[in-house]
Amino acid sequence: MKDELLGLRTKALEELKSVGERSDIETLRQLYLGRKGHLTLLLKRLAELPKEERPAMGRLANQVKEELTGQFQSVSDSLTTKELEEEPFLDVTLPGRRTPRGHLHPITQITQEICTIFSTLGFKVVEGPEVELDYYNFEALNMPKDHPARDIQDTFYISDNVVLRTHTSPMQIRTMERQLPPVSIVAPGKVYRPDSDISHTPMFHQVEGLLVDEGVSFGDLKGTLTTFVHQMFGPDTDLRFRPSFFPFTEPSAEVDIRCVVCQGKGCRVCSHSGWLEILGSGMIDPEVFKIVGYDPETTSGFAFGIGVERIAMLKSGLNDIRLFFENDIRFLRQF
Amino acid sequence: MRASLNWLKEFVDIDQKTAEVAEILTMAGLEVEGIEHRAQNLYDIVVARILDIKPHPRADRLSICRLDAGKEEVSVVCGATNINKGDLVPLALPGIKLPDGSLIKESRIRGEVSQGMLLAEDEMGLTDDHSGIMILPGDLTPGQPLSDAMDLEDWILDVTLTPNRVDCASLLGIAREIGTLTKRRITIPEIQTEESDNLIEHLADVTILDSQGCPRYTAGLVEHVRIGPSPFWMRYRLHVSGIRSINNVVDVTNYVLLELGQPLHAFDYHRLADRRIVVKRAEQGQVFTTLDDQTWYLDDQTLMICDGEEPVALAGIMGGLNSEITESTTDVLIESAYFDPITISRSSKRLSLSTEASYRFERGIDIEGTDFALKRSLMLIAQLAGGDIAKGIIDCYPKPWCPPKITLRVDRANKILGTSIDIKEMADHLSSLSMAVKIVDHDQMEVCPPSFRVDITREADLVEEIARLVGYNNIPVTLPAIRPTEENMPEFVLRDRIKTMLVGVGFTEIITYSFISPQSADILGAGEKSDLRSFVKLRNPLSQDQSVMRTSLIPGLLSTVRSNSLRGQNDLRIFEWGRTYIKGNGELPREKQVLAALITGMVSAQEWYQEPREADFFDIKGVAENILEELGIEKAEYKRNSAKEGFDPHEYARIFYAGSEIGAIGKVSKNVLKGYGVEKEAFVLELCIDTLLPFVVWVKEFTPLAKFPSVRRDISIIVDRSVQSAILVDIVKERGTDLVESVDIFDLYQGKQIAPQEKALAVRIDYRSKERTLTDDEVNEIHEGIIDEICRRTGGRLREGPRNGHSG
Repeated sequence: MKDELLGLRTKALEELKSVGERSDIETLRQLYLGRKGHLTLLLKRLAELPKEERPAMGRLANQVKEELTGQFQSVSDSLTTKELEEEPFLDVTLPGRRTPRGHLHPITQITQEICTIFSTLGFKVVEGPEVELDYYNFEALNMPKDHPARDIQDTFYISDNVVLRTHTSPMQIRTMERQLPPVSIVAPGKVYRPDSDISHTPMFHQVEGLLVDEGVSFGDLKGTLTTFVHQMFGPDTDLRFRPSFFPFTEPSAEVDIRCVVCQGKGCRVCSHSGWLEILGSGMIDPEVFKIVGYDPETTSGFAFGIGVERIAMLKSGLNDIRLFFENDIRFLRQF
Repeated sequence: MRASLNWLKEFVDIDQKTAEVAEILTMAGLEVEGIEHRAQNLYDIVVARILDIKPHPRADRLSICRLDAGKEEVSVVCGATNINKGDLVPLALPGIKLPDGSLIKESRIRGEVSQGMLLAEDEMGLTDDHSGIMILPGDLTPGQPLSDAMDLEDWILDVTLTPNRVDCASLLGIAREIGTLTKRRITIPEIQTEESDNLIEHLADVTILDSQGCPRYTAGLVEHVRIGPSPFWMRYRLHVSGIRSINNVVDVTNYVLLELGQPLHAFDYHRLADRRIVVKRAEQGQVFTTLDDQTWYLDDQTLMICDGEEPVALAGIMGGLNSEITESTTDVLIESAYFDPITISRSSKRLSLSTEASYRFERGIDIEGTDFALKRSLMLIAQLAGGDIAKGIIDCYPKPWCPPKITLRVDRANKILGTSIDIKEMADHLSSLSMAVKIVDHDQMEVCPPSFRVDITREADLVEEIARLVGYNNIPVTLPAIRPTEENMPEFVLRDRIKTMLVGVGFTEIITYSFISPQSADILGAGEKSDLRSFVKLRNPLSQDQSVMRTSLIPGLLSTVRSNSLRGQNDLRIFEWGRTYIKGNGELPREKQVLAALITGMVSAQEWYQEPREADFFDIKGVAENILEELGIEKAEYKRNSAKEGFDPHEYARIFYAGSEIGAIGKVSKNVLKGYGVEKEAFVLELCIDTLLPFVVWVKEFTPLAKFPSVRRDISIIVDRSVQSAILVDIVKERGTDLVESVDIFDLYQGKQIAPQEKALAVRIDYRSKERTLTDDEVNEIHEGIIDEICRRTGGRLREGPRNGHSG
């Protein structure tokens, strides 16, 4: 019986070694340790042994049973560990489940950026009509019918008295007509001029700015626009103010920034001047104050107009303005 | 204005480099947009003397020239006929590249060696003259570089003039500005003329019948001129300034125009009837031919220069064919006048005829300078064309100019500029601009601008001049007091919010032109009285396709779909937020804010985790629901009642809220798609922002979170297909009282398990009380009631399972 018992143990351990799958272990366990397993049956025969042999043989049988149970368990455990390592393979390189992404038009993005900068400087955002009276677009801005400055801006006419606004400056008049100083507004919007080529589209966008109060000076204009340029293009951006002419401001100034492409060395973008014109500005002309009923003796102020496309082009390196309005989705997705 | 640096140097000393001059002018408001270096590549071309000319043995039209080129003698084959032995000519030796890029090589021409090329003026880029080889002045030395010998090298400044600075539309004007900015004195050309004994008063007469249109008219006369080409120096200067050479007399008038800014006109004296000039308005309908051979029909506002019988020039714009200088002209009458800017501007605009003369008259020339320019031209004509200058000039100047007196307040100027410039410095700056300054007291001065500064009429103009001369960049930078502003208008806040939301759900913003084709209304199937037809029309559109302001954003969306699909981009979610322009009774149209969005193509692509799916009605409806939820507009109604322009008659809905139609969603009709060349189905959303604005919930109120558990019940009901699911939701809300927390249609079945005209809808209801835990009995009672009501009102029946079927 002892030999039988040890033989059974050797055989069981031998077979256990070659087991590969969990189900095989279970079969094997049943075969030896199950209710009708070899070891179980053998143990039942213990009773047949002479009384004096029973304790020793019983101890041995229990040892074998414990050993086999332990061995079965450990093999089973090791298989589990192996399974854990192999089974749940995740290909993390597969593309994720994306929700679709949209894009704001670059002109909207730049307009928002400009308006946000001026909002923090205390300017309120307002808007006004695009189909505009000649009076607001020209006359009230000190450009009577035969003024030569009208020649510079070709105009889309609707009737003798109605035009598509050629700039956002009519908002200066509309705002001042509506309220007394102090006034500080920015007015973004579409403007129109009959031009179409690589650097002109018949519709484009401007942001007008206006600040009127007592004692506003040209120095204030410089400070405000310097702050704007530094926020828009970076605090190290070099800029300069250059005399210019607008019928509704005096003194008038163009603002140039150091060319962002060549850093002032001179390139095609800046026509080899090293500078890029980015906006027009000036102190409100006393004539304009008289037209809206402000007293030019006690009131002063400045206005400016920023070309949104121009800024968007400078920031993105785009050289054909028409792309903004072709709405090629591959273009829009880049912003 | 193109200004030659060499020419400028005749008026003012310039030591600065060209780029520096350009910078100085630009920073004073005369923007130099470009600098052109003339004759820079002519260093290698040398002066050569023709030693002898032999005919080419094998070519009739060619000759062989032997030349002294200074260091060597060379032989050149040449086809020109204007050369003679002993002439000095420009010679390009082998290896030289001409301005047009061609390379000179030693070659054999019909067997004869040619060691270079003799050049005409145009071949060197000097003028556009190609009449023959350029014959050089006899005092040059063979071998000298041509550009040195002739002083050809020059820099042309391209100055962009603002409309106020017409005084700088001349070399003298720009030189004056340089003089002021660099503190140099100006040299005015001297006039030295020898006049004949013939008094001009005996030869000609000038009458101004319209002194408002013509406040000053001066005239002079040169007899016995010989019309011919101008010398090279003059043709070269005119050419670099962008003016074509005509003949010596006309060239002088143009030369003085460029030099002094005074437009002049030369008449053939013998072609002036009665030898007289009359300035008056044209007769209505009068016909006149200008010297460019164009015929004009005039109105009675056009100012004309006439002789004793008929018009001879469009005043201030262009002369007439009937009195122009020809080769046979012997006596010339020169006009130097001042015309009223508005009169000239109106005529020029009406005739769409703009010239160097009209440009200057429109902006205002120097009324005090007409006589000087006249004398300068008479002198130059006599120099270039010979002839005898008649004694004296005619000067009709009924009301002489009187300088305006402007008071400048120093304190005021400093306040505007934010500076503390003292009175002395201000006075110095203004004096340097040729202004007469008289200091009145510690704060005030009286300033008289010169007659050529027609732009200076007010104190503000003087302040600008001071700022310009101080230098804008030397004015201290300050910041205005910032005061709190009112809140931005609600629609802008709303716009940013909705745009951001749309971008978040995959829509890309487009911006299309506000003008469209008037056909858009027909394509959209607009009714006769539809707003879609209330177009604002452009008088001068760029094209018919862009000739009216849009009345709908849909044309722009569909055009964008088309242009993208042509580039292979078929799956789109796009939107535009813009205005429509509806013509009404007022002078200005109604500008309405509209949001329009469009989905087309695949809404979900083929991926490893999903099947592809095409867009449908409920994709665009979901977007509408998203937006309205964002705005706090709950319970909007979607109704398919009367047909909607542009939409498929079966797949659209008008959106209503509180009785107002706030927008529409649906499939674009087949005809409209066809009209815009779009092949795939497209679904659009239109929201009228202005109508919707009053309903927006700006401040969202807090609702306490539920404390008691909810009970969920589902109903699956079979109804006729024509039953609108919204009725089920309405009934649940009605019957369920405030115990219904939410109700959702979560399944729709149409198929074999039920009859073809039926559909099965599954409704999920969450019941909850704010005060207590609901019991099953309580819920069952309400739920039963709801089911009975639904069945009764829709004619439906329960699909399966127990009536109180619990789920999840």
